Amino acid sequence: MDVDRRQFIETGLTAGLLSACGLPTTASTEGGGGPAWHAGYRTAPAEGFDASPMRLVQGKAPTGLEGTLYRNGPAQFHYGNTHASHWFDGDGMIQRVHVEDGMAIHSGKFVETTKRTAEQAADRFLADGFGTKGDPSYPVQSSDDVNAANTSVVMAGGELLALWEAGSPWRLDPETLESRGPKVWRDDLKGMPYLAHPKIEPDGRIWNLGVNGTRIAIYLAGADGELIDFGLTDMGVPAYLHDWAMTDRHLVILVQPWLRTRMIPPFVDSLEWHPEDGLKILIVDKDDFSKTRWAQAPARAFFHTGAAWEEDDGTIKLDVAFYDEPILGSGGGASEIKGTWTVAERPPYQSKFSLLVIPPKGDARIIETALDGDFPQVDPRRHGLNRHLSALVTGVSDRHPGNTTLSVHDWDTGETDAFDFGSTRIAEEFLFAPKPGSSAERDSWLIGPVLNIKAQTREIHVFDARKVSDGPVCTWMADYTWPLGFHGMWA
Amino acid sequence: MNRTVIISTIAACMLPAAVSAGTIDITVENIEKHTGTMHIGLYDADTYEGGKAINGANITVEADSVSVTLQDIAPGEYGVKIFHDEDDDGEMDTNPFGIPTEGYAFSNNAKGRFGPAKWDDAKFVVTDAGTAQIISLN
Repeated sequence: MDVDRRQFIETGLTAGLLSACGLPTTASTEGGGGPAWHAGYRTAPAEGFDASPMRLVQGKAPTGLEGTLYRNGPAQFHYGNTHASHWFDGDGMIQRVHVEDGMAIHSGKFVETTKRTAEQAADRFLADGFGTKGDPSYPVQSSDDVNAANTSVVMAGGELLALWEAGSPWRLDPETLESRGPKVWRDDLKGMPYLAHPKIEPDGRIWNLGVNGTRIAIYLAGADGELIDFGLTDMGVPAYLHDWAMTDRHLVILVQPWLRTRMIPPFVDSLEWHPEDGLKILIVDKDDFSKTRWAQAPARAFFHTGAAWEEDDGTIKLDVAFYDEPILGSGGGASEIKGTWTVAERPPYQSKFSLLVIPPKGDARIIETALDGDFPQVDPRRHGLNRHLSALVTGVSDRHPGNTTLSVHDWDTGETDAFDFGSTRIAEEFLFAPKPGSSAERDSWLIGPVLNIKAQTREIHVFDARKVSDGPVCTWMADYTWPLGFHGMWA
Repeated sequence: MNRTVIISTIAACMLPAAVSAGTIDITVENIEKHTGTMHIGLYDADTYEGGKAINGANITVEADSVSVTLQDIAPGEYGVKIFHDEDDDGEMDTNPFGIPTEGYAFSNNAKGRFGPAKWDDAKFVVTDAGTAQIISLN
């Protein structure tokens, strides 16, 4: 189902009217020209976005929806005529959409990392990145000197932490988004890597991993941001690990055969795909990190899992956006950054949203759905527990990069409920926002951002998880754009 | 834990009688923890990379900064390595993946790339008139 026709026309008319009346339509990102979708990949203003109310352009804000959507993503793609060579290397910018009393207020600010401070002063790229080669004269004493803090966020101890994956979380004021420097979990853990995919127990405790070569650091922190436990394990091979999964009893680490076989910058150029190794699965006991077991599945590449759960017999199930081979390798996203992307550059294979079933003994099985999506999300009240639903973005357009559709898949029935935004919008990750007064999984809203390519605006859409195909419950709009992001949280 | 090469050899050095000599005023700033000992080692071109310090000082840390004047330094080129042994265990503490967790720095505030600062970046000249180094701890 396409987005409501009236809303479609209204949003287009609004932007047209503003310019016809000579009113400024806020210039949102640096540089114009290029295809309309390029608004998702242009450098954001260095000063960020001051808090400004978004307009309710459709529906009515649901009673009880109160909170803040935080999103993180790369937002510095160019210095002069040079550009980042990979989408993952732009400096992180936090987008904050605060929802209260039926209103939504947007603000945004770059994370002021060591890397960003140095590069802004030099007015050029300096640091080696995931896929961008830096200046060899740029001093690097720890990974935090190249930390882009651009991948996700988590709230801990009243602070918002901007997350990368090879360095420390970067501490921020959750209201002003002012940067406060790197997070040190414990004196002896200063400068340790911390992945951008922490897993939050329903009781608020935060688990996460950090990777160096074959070694994996395991963190457990309280909701107060204090470290409760720390340990180490080893995955045997230097696999690239972006995300992982967790049940109520185990950490589930998917060791994809995308291996760092040499030490050259940028990082992604050091990775090689070794499908002959298959997908190894390391399962770690949360109560005793020395208790581990292994399982094996056919080779797959992945960036993102939804969440895992464990059945009575010990079978572990988790949803994963699997790919037959790695995507976003060397040069990933560079054409999007330059604005030269064409549909011919889309990989011949899309993700296959799958259920990975790991029995207590023996090989794991992969059950593929017909969904070609990524950025899976689950009800946070059930993280690590048995559940039915996954929300993800699916569908592609030949006219622009990114996804077009919000899908909610029910693992019990095998049915998928979807809403297609059409080929003039790019849909980003949608998050579960539980409805107050109920604990039912479907008693959730799904909230997420959309880039309206045609109107050159940004929208925040809210859906009822019971039936997303009915269209958004409400939509707020900003008369300007900000770059596409990666991940976020509803807090 | 990695043992630092700085600590053990500083005190024992004997300088040859110099025809002329200068001083080096060293101030270390940006100290986070007011505990332990600041180990300051002076090196020449022959000793900077892996050799023993030819002069230096060990200073108890009680404030945001520490200062010392190294006396009777023959004119020439030198480099300084600094390590803040915050817990006085005689070692450069590192995190589980080998990154230092205690403060360190080099003369000229030179910074390394995946290692210590290079001699060419850290070296400075001492004359009869003496010189000063104000160094910010990493």
